[in-house]
Amino acid sequence: MRTSGAAAASRPFGGLAAFFWTEVRVQAHEELAMATSMTVQGVLLVFVWILNPGLLGVALVGAVIFSMFTMGQRVLNEAAYVRIDHKANELYLAGPLTPEAYFLGMAAGVLLVYLAPVVVVAGLAEAVVHFTVREALLLVGCAAAVWVTAISIGYVFSTAFRDNRAIWAYSSLFFNVFGVLPPVFYPIGLFPGPLRPIVLLMPPSAATALLQEAIGAAHLPVGAIALAAGGLATEVVLLFTFATFWARRTVRGA
Amino acid sequence: MSDLALRSVDLRKTYVGKGAPPVEALSGVDLEVRRGERVALLGRNGAGKTTFLRIASTLLRPTSGTIEVFGLDADRLPERVRPYIAVVPQEGKPFFHLTPREQVYTYLRSRGLGRESAHARTDEALERMGLTEFADRLSITLSGGQRQRTMVATVIATEAPLLFLDEPSIGMDPFARRSVWASFRALSGKGSTILLTTHYLDEAEALSDRLYIVERGKVIVNGTAEQLKRSVGGTLKVAIARGAREAEKFRSFGETVADGETLTIVVHPERLGELMDLAVRSGLTTTVGPVTLEEAFLRVVGRSIDED
Repeated sequence: MRTSGAAAASRPFGGLAAFFWTEVRVQAHEELAMATSMTVQGVLLVFVWILNPGLLGVALVGAVIFSMFTMGQRVLNEAAYVRIDHKANELYLAGPLTPEAYFLGMAAGVLLVYLAPVVVVAGLAEAVVHFTVREALLLVGCAAAVWVTAISIGYVFSTAFRDNRAIWAYSSLFFNVFGVLPPVFYPIGLFPGPLRPIVLLMPPSAATALLQEAIGAAHLPVGAIALAAGGLATEVVLLFTFATFWARRTVRGA
Repeated sequence: MSDLALRSVDLRKTYVGKGAPPVEALSGVDLEVRRGERVALLGRNGAGKTTFLRIASTLLRPTSGTIEVFGLDADRLPERVRPYIAVVPQEGKPFFHLTPREQVYTYLRSRGLGRESAHARTDEALERMGLTEFADRLSITLSGGQRQRTMVATVIATEAPLLFLDEPSIGMDPFARRSVWASFRALSGKGSTILLTTHYLDEAEALSDRLYIVERGKVIVNGTAEQLKRSVGGTLKVAIARGAREAEKFRSFGETVADGETLTIVVHPERLGELMDLAVRSGLTTTVGPVTLEEAFLRVVGRSIDED
C-alpha cells in the first residue's frame, strides 16, 4: 500500500528542512515584527550609552544574548498561536512530520528570519569591543546555547496555553524578567554577591557572565566560571531533550 | 495487511479536568471502515465525533479500547500509522501568510514528497478546489470559504490512504461544496478511504457509502442512508395541513409529529393510498415528499434522547 510521504516518517527530525522553510515563509511576511524585534534592546542600549558609555560594550554583548533569549518568546507565541488558532499542529502532526521536526523547524525558521538584526548588533559589539577569535567563537557558542534553552522553554510553555490573550502577557513577562533583570545588560560585578549563584544558573546571565569574563568586563572566580559554563551546558542538553520529549508527548493531547 | 482501513473496539475516552467532573466523551465505540469506503460519522454537537477522529488520527490517546488503522495499533504505534493518514482538522486554517499554493506545496514537502511530485499535486489540488485564481494570494486576504477550500486542497493533495475530515465543507458555498464532494469521490476512486464528520446531512447522504450515528459517546446507528431512512417507519413523509387536531385518526399509519396545525406522518409507500383516502374524506389537504436523511436523523437521535 502506498503511503503519503513515508520517507519522512519515523526518522528522528524527519521533515525538518521542509517545515523549517514553511516557517521561514510564514515569518518572513512579518516585516514590522522584524523591524521592532530590537526595541527593548535598543532602548536599553541608549540608556547605557547616556548613563555610562564605558559599559556600552558589555550592553551590546548583552543585547546579542538577550535577542537570542527572546527567540524563545517568539517560538512560544508562534507555537501557541498556530495550535490554538490554526490547528496547524493537528494538520502537520497527524502525518509523517515528526513532532521534534515540527518544534525545531519552527524555532529554526523564526531564528533565520529574526537573525539579521542580531547580526547587526553583534557587528556593533565587535566595533566597540574588538573581539579576539576566541571571544568571537565564545559569543557565537553562548548565543547558540541561549537560543537552544530559550526555544526549549518557549515550546514547552506554549503547550500550556488555551487562550492567545494569556500568552502575550505571560510570555512577555517571563522573557523580559529573566532577560533584563539579571546581569545581561550590565556587569555581573554590580549584582549582589550572595545572589550571583542564582543568576549564574540562568541561561542568559550565565552566558553574559562568561562573555564578560572573556572580554575583561568581569573577574569571576574559577568556581563561578565553572558554575556558569557547566550549568549552561547542562541546561542546553536537559532542556532540549525535555522539549523534544514534550513535543512528542503533547501531540497526543497530554 | 488488514482489509479494514479503520477498526475500533469498545473505544472509550474520559476527559478528566482539574476541579471539573470527568466527562465521558466515548462510551465504547465499535466501528469498522473498509478500505476504499466513504463513511460519515454523524451526531449532535458534543456527541463524541471529533474525539473519535482525534483518537483515530493519533492526536489523542483513548482511555481504553482498541483502535487500529490498516491493522496497526494506532494507540501504540502512532509513528507507523501517521504516514498513511491525513487530517482536515475542525476549524483548521491555513497559515495566513502563505498563499494557497505555498500552503499545499510546503505541506506536501513536509510529508516527504519530492519537489516535482509536490508541484504537480499542488496544481491539481488547487484546480480541483477551484483555487487556481487565488493560488498566489496570501490566505489572509481570502474569504472563510476559500481558506477552508485551501485546507481541503492541502489534505487531498496528499492522496493519503486514509483521510479524516472533520466538517470539511463548513463555511463553503453550495458550488464549492460540490467541488469538494467531487474531489472526495475522485480520491475514493483512487483507493483512499474517507471518514468524515459533518452536520450537513445532504453532504453525508451524497458522499458516504455508509454512516454511523454517534450519540452520547455511543454508536446508535450503523448502516446506509437508505437503511436509516427506512428505520424511521417509512420512506415517505405526508404533511397534512390543519391535521394536528385530528392526529388520532392517522396514528395507525406511522409515527405522527404535530408542528403547529400541520401533522406530519412517515409512512410506507404501500399505505400511502389508504392514508390519502382518509385525508380526502376528512377534507384535509396533503403534501407528499420523501423522508430526508435529516428527518431520519432527528427522529433516531430524538428517540435515543427520549429513551435516555
